[in-house]
Amino acid sequence: MAVRVEPRRQAAPLAAEVAAVVRNLDYVLVAAVAALVGYGLWVLSSVSRNDVPGDPDFFVFRQSVNVALGTIGLAVVTYVNPDFYRRVRKPLYLGLIVALVVVFVFAEAVRGTRRWIDIGFFQLQPSELGKVVVILVLASFLAEFARRIGEWRTTLTAVGLVALPGTLVFFQPDFGTAIIYAVVVAAGLFVAGTRWTHLAGLAAAAAGLAVAVLWVLPSAGLQVLRPYQVERLTGFLNPDLDPSGATYNVTQSITAVGSGGLDGRGVAGATQTNMNYLPEHTTDFIFSALAEQRGFLGAALLLLLYAIVVWRGVKTIALAPSLHGAVIAAACVAALAFQVFVNIGMTIGIAPVTGIPLPFVSYGGSSMIASFALIGLLQAVHVRGRLAGRS
Amino acid sequence: MSARRVNRRVRLLVAVFTLAFGVVLVRAGWLQAVQSGPLDRLAASQQREAITIPAHRGTIYDRTGVELAIGERAITVYANPQQIMNPRAVALAVGRTLGTDPAAVLEQLSDRSKGFVYVARKADAVKAESLRRQEIVGLGFYPEERRSYPLGTVASEIVGYAGVDNRGLAGLELGLDKLLGGSDGKKTIVRDPFGHRLDTVDAEDAADGRDLRLTIDNTLQRQVERVLEATRERWNAKAATAVVLDPKTGGILAMGVEPGFDANDFPKASRDVQRNRAVTDTYEPGSTFKVVTLSAVLETGMVTPTDTYTLPYEIRVSDRVIHDAVPRGTETMSVAEILSQSSNVGVITLALGLGREKLSEWIDRFGFGHETGIEYPGETPGIVVPPEQWSGSTIGNVPIGHGIAVTPLQMARVYGAIANGGVAIQPHLVERVEGKGAVGPARKRVISTRVSKQLTAMLRGVVEDGSGVEAQVPGYFVAGKTGTAAKPDPVYGGYSKTAYVGSFVGFAPARNPRVVVLVTVDEPRGTIWGGTVAAPAFRDIMRFALQYLQVPPDVPEEAGSAAE
Repeated sequence: MAVRVEPRRQAAPLAAEVAAVVRNLDYVLVAAVAALVGYGLWVLSSVSRNDVPGDPDFFVFRQSVNVALGTIGLAVVTYVNPDFYRRVRKPLYLGLIVALVVVFVFAEAVRGTRRWIDIGFFQLQPSELGKVVVILVLASFLAEFARRIGEWRTTLTAVGLVALPGTLVFFQPDFGTAIIYAVVVAAGLFVAGTRWTHLAGLAAAAAGLAVAVLWVLPSAGLQVLRPYQVERLTGFLNPDLDPSGATYNVTQSITAVGSGGLDGRGVAGATQTNMNYLPEHTTDFIFSALAEQRGFLGAALLLLLYAIVVWRGVKTIALAPSLHGAVIAAACVAALAFQVFVNIGMTIGIAPVTGIPLPFVSYGGSSMIASFALIGLLQAVHVRGRLAGRS
Repeated sequence: MSARRVNRRVRLLVAVFTLAFGVVLVRAGWLQAVQSGPLDRLAASQQREAITIPAHRGTIYDRTGVELAIGERAITVYANPQQIMNPRAVALAVGRTLGTDPAAVLEQLSDRSKGFVYVARKADAVKAESLRRQEIVGLGFYPEERRSYPLGTVASEIVGYAGVDNRGLAGLELGLDKLLGGSDGKKTIVRDPFGHRLDTVDAEDAADGRDLRLTIDNTLQRQVERVLEATRERWNAKAATAVVLDPKTGGILAMGVEPGFDANDFPKASRDVQRNRAVTDTYEPGSTFKVVTLSAVLETGMVTPTDTYTLPYEIRVSDRVIHDAVPRGTETMSVAEILSQSSNVGVITLALGLGREKLSEWIDRFGFGHETGIEYPGETPGIVVPPEQWSGSTIGNVPIGHGIAVTPLQMARVYGAIANGGVAIQPHLVERVEGKGAVGPARKRVISTRVSKQLTAMLRGVVEDGSGVEAQVPGYFVAGKTGTAAKPDPVYGGYSKTAYVGSFVGFAPARNPRVVVLVTVDEPRGTIWGGTVAAPAFRDIMRFALQYLQVPPDVPEEAGSAAE
């Protein structure tokens, strides 16, 4: 027996490691994500049927390519031991900053914002993948300074690490993604055990910053945000103020969601979507299109799938073999949950309009790949946690 | 940090996530279960728009085919101020193209709180079309009809007018609105957020209104109005009214009221000048009414035209004394002379022989107290006191045309019956409704042919050597009767001492009557007598009508003059 086993061990250590990873995957999460992606493709194919004349599958075909790319990324990220990222944290961080600066300086402005780097067949949006990098860099830092977690210096350095790329993203301007960076750092610090007083101080500072940016600085003549951004952010507080202006999109979205009723109007009957009353219905407002076509039942099914993903993510935090893994898992699940909440909240009028896409469902390559990468990180932590727990 | 503390924070995280998902789920449920109905209607209301397809309003022609009222193609221009990016530029373009005041348009377009404003209602179709070709975002167009009255003041009291919404407001436009207006079509369009039409549902075609051909002749009508205006000015009268009737058909060839108004400019005309007084107003007919009493006594066989009566100048009836118009001694008159000399005493003497019941029957038989049934809206039946309410002196008033209120049309109808051998024909204004079979007007024999001939002979006497000599038309034998009556005094009660209605009604040619003309002059100044104020107008109208209708003269021109 030994004779037969020896050469295989030498010839295929990779295969054995892959097998170990595969054996210890979180299959509930696999199933939930698979269902979510499938459901998302189905929704996209329904809502985009009339968007490109003569090519009903235009969007769903391209999104399938994104899913394929994302799946490859998922496989790679799942396989790589998260500890590896601790060793390459500096090049990772440097690469992210460089990419963001490149975008900021060189990329062409699309609709007044600079977010994309055109790499031939694909328009890469570094800020989306930056989420993943920020999570890894933050986790490495917090794991390294675990013993000095109670110090203000540690807390502020962690915030500063994320604030640098976050500020670059903010001024692209991509306000929504910048907010996700903030959520990532908050979740990381929270799980790493940062003192409540520090967290409270940060929260107060964030609130003060928000008030300053939205109200105080503009009245002092300094416009940090563009006027349309302020209108969108504060519009949901006063939806009837100007129904044809800033909150037009939200009004149309709520109308679409409501007219879907309990069981939906079907593909042909979803007039808000089909006749373009609902704007951006393949990207930011895809949830409203789903809710109009499939009703409360379809919307609740989507929420259920997200809830399963979040539930598995939270379990992975507890299962993590190290603080490093726990911070990664917490930041990943927080980023996903926050995106879901803010995107859907926007479409039903309980969250501001920030342009955050709906993970796995909104049309878009960078977002899809980034979401898969977050799941990959959760799986990687899960696998190492189970392997560590077993040994 | 211990695993227990980590777990505590993770549980807190779970609580936050659960709360967030719960809020989203509840909110979605609230929108989709509770608010679903209203939001569904909101979606439908912005996606669908009900559009009225206006029905074409029928054209009104006179008997010769000349247009009296037509619907012109017009285009209404509206705007959605919320879609207009540069109100100033749009206002200038609109002003330049339509020729309207850009400042007024700018004010409309600048009101962002509105989603719909009229830029120009019923604008000229050609100009609006050139504006449409400029493809200005936010402007909309829909076709409408603008009612127009090519002849202006001519026949305006008859035709009336339709308002800006193309519904009839007065005259035949109002009375026959259902026929003329047809019924509007409807359609619901589905549109995208930019106002482009995607689909049409529930289309229902408009049913166009029907064209009308009137019995009115525009040339005759024009002449009548000209004569009435001259008459009104000559006598400084409040108003003058005329009816021209074809006794053989009942068709009204002309019906004029002065002062009149221009139907194209109706909002500026007072209600007072818009009334078709020939149908809506009454007057006391005075002596023209005596033919009714005469008809009754002749028809019942009580007297013949040659029977004679010895008549004093005055007669006492109950508490009143009635005398003839011109002082004279006691005379012997034939029945024919009673009418041609218009003797009040003679007529009352005949009426006393007849009695109130019989007389009332004949008044009713001639149609007084009843609407004639003409198509014109707002017709009055007049006022006829029923016999049981008569006082002792009433038999001294009514037989000579006092104490009774009639419309000019009712009176013209009576003379039409006499002219038509005793058969009254329903007077009417509409000759034909397009697409409908002609229905002959109702005919009713009122008196026998014999009596109608006897009356005609007596009425010829009135014009030949009685009170109506001013009504003579050279070349024709004219039959007619003058009338003069004091108007009721609205302030003091009883009758006015100064306000009178002078009238003349008659027909020609007497042997084969073709035209009945009635003229009333309301409150003439200087003189009050129908034979003086109304008979010349009658003559002018009758002479024109006979020539215009190419009615052969009864006698050569010289002979006619000699007969005078």
